[in-house]
Amino acid sequence: MSGIVLYGLDVSAPVRSCQLTLRALELDYEFQEVDLLAGDHRKEEFLQKNPQHTIPLLDDNGTLIWDSHAIVCYLVDKYANSDELYPKDLVRRAQVNQRLYFDASALFMALRDICAPYFDNDVTEISQEKADNVRDGYGHLETFLGDNPYLNGDAPTVGDFCCAATASSLPAFIELDAEKYPKVNAWLERLQELPYYEEANGVGARKYVDMLKDKLTLL
Amino acid sequence: MGKLKLYGLEPSPPFRAVKLTLAALGVPYEFVFVDTPGQENLSEEFLKKNPQHTVPVLEDNGHIIWDSHAICAYLVSKFGKSDSLYPKDLLQRARVDQRLHFETGVVFANGLRSITRPLFAAKLTKFPKERYEAIIEIYDFLETFLKDNDYVAGSQLTIADFSLISTISSLEAFVKVDPTKYTKVTAWIKRLEQLPYYEEANAKGTRAFFSMIEKANFAFSS
Repeated sequence: MSGIVLYGLDVSAPVRSCQLTLRALELDYEFQEVDLLAGDHRKEEFLQKNPQHTIPLLDDNGTLIWDSHAIVCYLVDKYANSDELYPKDLVRRAQVNQRLYFDASALFMALRDICAPYFDNDVTEISQEKADNVRDGYGHLETFLGDNPYLNGDAPTVGDFCCAATASSLPAFIELDAEKYPKVNAWLERLQELPYYEEANGVGARKYVDMLKDKLTLL
Repeated sequence: MGKLKLYGLEPSPPFRAVKLTLAALGVPYEFVFVDTPGQENLSEEFLKKNPQHTVPVLEDNGHIIWDSHAICAYLVSKFGKSDSLYPKDLLQRARVDQRLHFETGVVFANGLRSITRPLFAAKLTKFPKERYEAIIEIYDFLETFLKDNDYVAGSQLTIADFSLISTISSLEAFVKVDPTKYTKVTAWIKRLEQLPYYEEANAKGTRAFFSMIEKANFAFSS
């Protein structure tokens, strides 16, 4: 037993990026559900572990880490037999890091900016600006892919796991137009071929999209 | 071996985060000004370097790296005499990484850019309460992170401090840090202002950023 516990919900994109990484590393782990709607993340017990009260949270044999991007990098550096998922070469690592920070800022914030007001305050309208932020996200991914099958070249990295978890959730709000973003579409289909992808991300992403798809309207 | 080139401009917070890191490392570099208000970052020449058309961009011997956090981590790993600014210990590094991702998302994207982007583009001057609350949430989190530590990721100065101070000092253009409510944040800001390179690497550029905001004549909606 690895002694690893992952706290979260399967509908959460950042939780799914950790699941993809854990599965890629063939690490077993215990999943602990944190019911956000019931406010589990704001209870004293959880706040002691993570004062930012977000999911995912990793407990690696007593070591507590949060933020999906910090978690996935830690897991690869600690447990991987080789470094393809998060290269040690400084230039290549910087390029993967750029994708991770892109996910954390542009992609995930575009998602959060729409779903947080909905969950917190029943805001069901998506402003033009917020819709454009999502489309900008898709557009940048299209550019980053260039002539490569994955975001950082010929092989998947944690950059792909994090961006794909978010990109596969954004259609809850703005459809991923396969004609406008053919490379993004092909990249997501390519990732679906990973044997663990369906369980680690596919199921949760579909649940998220189905949950929200018809609840919000574009202005 | 070619010199490092750093592309950007003084008012930009992430540009200043890299300046702070370069100054702390004592690494020389050439500054290349990019006129983002004039949309130079959208020129074909710049897009070839960085298709995401953001600043800062680092050029090191032909290698192009962008995103300030990726740049700072790269610089310490490559040029640092020790790893203190970006620890190699996995848990310490994960803490710094978490603070850096907090900065890029919650602080920079949701706190600052959500205001400056429409402000500088469409020249809007009034913003909803949502944006004010986003900034207060940032200050609240930072106060919590600094509860038991002198620096944001622990007892030592790291690139997470550089990344966060560059944006926090800029956010004060919109909401001042209340010194009675945020005693830890206030002490941390004062601590960083003592760094010998702080004036040149961050204070000067923050003032330039403030000038840009003052010209826009800005107010929060109640």
